Amino acid sequence: MSLDKMKRREFLKVLGWGGVGTTLAGCDMPTTVTVQEGEEEVVAYLAPEEYVIPGIGVWYATTCAQCGSGCGVHGRVREGRVLKLEGNPDSQVNRGKLCQAGQASLQAHYNPDRITAPRVRRNGQLETIGWDQALALLEEKVGPSSGLAGERFAWVTDTVSGHQAVLLKAWMEAVGSRHHYVHEAVNDAVWRAVCRDMLGDENPRLRIDKARVILSFGADFLSTWGSTVQNSARYAEFRTAPRGVLVQAEPKMTVTGANADLWVPVRPGAEGVLALAIANRLAAEHGRDLSKLPADVQQQVRAYDIDKAARITGVSAEHIARIAALLNERAPSLVLAGTPAEGHARGYDNVAAAMLLNIVLGNVGKTLESGAGFPFPQLAAKTGGNRELLDFAAALESKSFDVVFFKGANPVYTAPEALKLKEKLAGVPFKVAFTQFEDETAQQADLVLPLRSMLEDWGTHVPTAQPEQMLISLQQPLMEPLYPETRGFGDALLALLKLRKAPQYAAYDDYYAYLRNAFAALPATLKQGAISDQQFWTRAVQKGVIEVGAGSGSLTARVAAFTVAEPADQGRPYTLVPSAGANLHDGRYANLPWLQELPDPISKVVWDSWAEMHPITAAKIGAKTGDRVRIESDHGAIEAKVYIYKGMHPDAIAVPLGQGHEAYGRYAQGRGVNPLKILGLATETKTGELAHHATRVQVTRIADKVGDKLVKLGGSEAQLGRKLVATVTADVYARTEGEA
Amino acid sequence: MSLENILTDWSRYRKGLEQGGFHDYEHMWGMVIDLDKCTGCGACVVACYAENNLAVVGKDRFADGHAMHWLRIERYWDEPDLGEGRVAEYQHHGASFLPMHCQQCNAATCEPVCPVAATYHTPDGLNAQVYNRCIGSRYCSNNCPYRLRYFNFFSYYESSWPAPLHMQLNPDLTVRDKGVMEKCTFCVQRIRAAKDKAQMEDRKLTDGEFQPACVQTCPTSAMTFGDILDLHNPGKGVENTRAAALWRKHEVELGKTRQTKQDPDLRGYRIFEGLNTDPKVLFLERVREV
Repeated sequence: MSLDKMKRREFLKVLGWGGVGTTLAGCDMPTTVTVQEGEEEVVAYLAPEEYVIPGIGVWYATTCAQCGSGCGVHGRVREGRVLKLEGNPDSQVNRGKLCQAGQASLQAHYNPDRITAPRVRRNGQLETIGWDQALALLEEKVGPSSGLAGERFAWVTDTVSGHQAVLLKAWMEAVGSRHHYVHEAVNDAVWRAVCRDMLGDENPRLRIDKARVILSFGADFLSTWGSTVQNSARYAEFRTAPRGVLVQAEPKMTVTGANADLWVPVRPGAEGVLALAIANRLAAEHGRDLSKLPADVQQQVRAYDIDKAARITGVSAEHIARIAALLNERAPSLVLAGTPAEGHARGYDNVAAAMLLNIVLGNVGKTLESGAGFPFPQLAAKTGGNRELLDFAAALESKSFDVVFFKGANPVYTAPEALKLKEKLAGVPFKVAFTQFEDETAQQADLVLPLRSMLEDWGTHVPTAQPEQMLISLQQPLMEPLYPETRGFGDALLALLKLRKAPQYAAYDDYYAYLRNAFAALPATLKQGAISDQQFWTRAVQKGVIEVGAGSGSLTARVAAFTVAEPADQGRPYTLVPSAGANLHDGRYANLPWLQELPDPISKVVWDSWAEMHPITAAKIGAKTGDRVRIESDHGAIEAKVYIYKGMHPDAIAVPLGQGHEAYGRYAQGRGVNPLKILGLATETKTGELAHHATRVQVTRIADKVGDKLVKLGGSEAQLGRKLVATVTADVYARTEGEA
Repeated sequence: MSLENILTDWSRYRKGLEQGGFHDYEHMWGMVIDLDKCTGCGACVVACYAENNLAVVGKDRFADGHAMHWLRIERYWDEPDLGEGRVAEYQHHGASFLPMHCQQCNAATCEPVCPVAATYHTPDGLNAQVYNRCIGSRYCSNNCPYRLRYFNFFSYYESSWPAPLHMQLNPDLTVRDKGVMEKCTFCVQRIRAAKDKAQMEDRKLTDGEFQPACVQTCPTSAMTFGDILDLHNPGKGVENTRAAALWRKHEVELGKTRQTKQDPDLRGYRIFEGLNTDPKVLFLERVREV
């Protein structure tokens, strides 16, 4: 290989490859470098590339694109490779912190199962082609010459924001289609709908830090619900003296529940009744005035005294009374409702009853602040839920689309089997997947276009939950692409746009040029003190974020009409809780070995699926921890090993999301089960969301498989008197570490 | 070097701080972990894998106890301090999470048993492990009461980083091979880089100038890292560290097997300090409203 054929960066990369195993510990400068085996020419570091000092790591700012939270990151780059990510302290979203998925995004970038070149389906098989062929095919199939009308095109994506969202919208407008489905299997769609109806803002800022008491109906805000790193920093303030009290009510203990002062198991679907009973107690015992509430709401509150509610919800009357007393005593409080409350036919009403407590307790405007006022609505995060998945499937049913594009979302994996999405997709003549990996959806595609990783690509991101000082977060490539035959998502969108609106976009050679132009067009007020667009850009790239000012707007509390329904347990004896965890989330991180090997916080199981149940339930089924059970719904069955603990409601069986991949690379494939597959298709009445916590199941003990063990961290579940985790009461803490 | 000298040095070396141990410390890196802030999420664990080239061993080897997590989060269900023997039907106060990495004991039980002195106490107060001196006797691991030493039973690197995953490996430290013991180093590569930088700039280290990977990423800032030499040798080491302030605040002293606190309700405690290991990780008790 001659040097003129090889770029300097690539050469450095090669040096790095050979250097594995070479001891450089404790040196500032490497004393030896080795060259990739089989290469004959050895070229010394004569004129190092600008900014590249061998042996010295340089930190560059970018944005984590693992989820929609938009955390700022600093990536350490050495010898042309990115080695480690840390939180960017300049981003008020995560303030220098990062979650496990952010840390593990390095493994998405360096993943051995990445797609390295475009693939096209020929005779049923995916064959590798070049980008020029891929683009020619795109022109033929989706360009003006295809003769397809606008509404015949659809996109299915995960949360998108920033200028990628702008380009995507521009493309939709250019072809004249409205069918952009944003699908997130783990979402807060019902909570957003209730916030929109009852607060006038679908995405209020959660001031966890300001609350003295938090009552959460299954909202796992430390782990899977909302902007978790941002929430965690606020939670740390909440736990600083004067220490706030966390009460969590849910059918399966989440990480947030595991940190609660009081955790109560709620019968699945009875969250609304519990909220009403607390309101009842606040009025009856603590003299809270409910007379301004609508008459039918007052009537519902009156209907549930704590004894009646205790019978329905499974939460003892003492606990309901205590929760009401805590909420009454300490202000301000904050009441949240998450996935387990949302995922029922009357999930909206459950969440609305929880929101009613915020209104009764006067939390609106105190611990719930307006999140409105972001000055660039076209850049704002566009997020979604499972309704979009159902809508998409319904549209497929009526053969509405000729061309479907996928990006980020993996609906073939996240759709319940009963939806028959795979079969319905077969009816779409041309399916294009923009992806880094061959996941279940990409396997159904006719054209698979390999994307660059988040560490190789340009982009802008707008956080789904804006901090007080709102911001746009900038993503820049931290290294040369590992594979030349990959494209940035922005570049791919530009290429698509050029097919339709060439004159408007011809000026942009690439997405970088587009972004530069877009930044130059930002209002002068944002460019504080920058003498030129170039300087503004350089500063933005260095800092990684552009602050766009505090939001404006206020919340107006209004009790929307709702009618809480009592859970009607019909059919099979148990309710399936498809529980999300931070490690694998909705399955998108299952191909990252660090996250597979990271024990689940609750069960401590690794590399597998398991079924959580209460000892009472286990006794009924006749299963011990590690035994194998079959969990059967009306729509299918899955098998998993049992983990027994007392953080479950006895009516619930929890199976974690994320495993059970049929594709998606060596680390994900053929491991565990996917509980989403056996869900029923019942929907939430008001929002049309999938009622994903409403599937009833039968559980039976089955024979173990030889050699199939439940692999988990740690032998003992108890401290055995060793004073490992000591606990003091809050009274003692208040005395020793103060009330202020 | 007479036998007498060796025996004298050896017995001094065996002694903890309170008996005038061997070291003239430059620094004494320590940590404080607030268990009331730790949510058990696991971000620190992944940060450690990324920083320290920890091998991913896979399910079968994990089952055999080969996991190489220098930092692990233990989870317990019982809460003896909230009523020993109380058998509740539900886990009403949540779980008890415990991040465990090397406690960097000042009187480390792992050190004196090493037949080749591959593990020793540095002037920074760290239990260092010299990989290329280690012969794999595993005595140290056997002697660690915390089970925080990890042995390379196999060449895990052969399967842990299929190309191009290996491009992520941190060149500031090694990839360990079969037959070698490894453990948490408090990210010694970061310590050395910061010390070198301070030296080149002709200044003292300042508190918070660098942090181990776990501390830096912790979403709730539950961990505080810093020089606690001031507790042992006032006026030495990094000045006014938050870590030392927390040790003082919670009235926990080095070199003791049992603390004599003015206020016994203060939250600070060390795990297994009764074994005279003199660990340098201070835990602050979990708090629950009951």
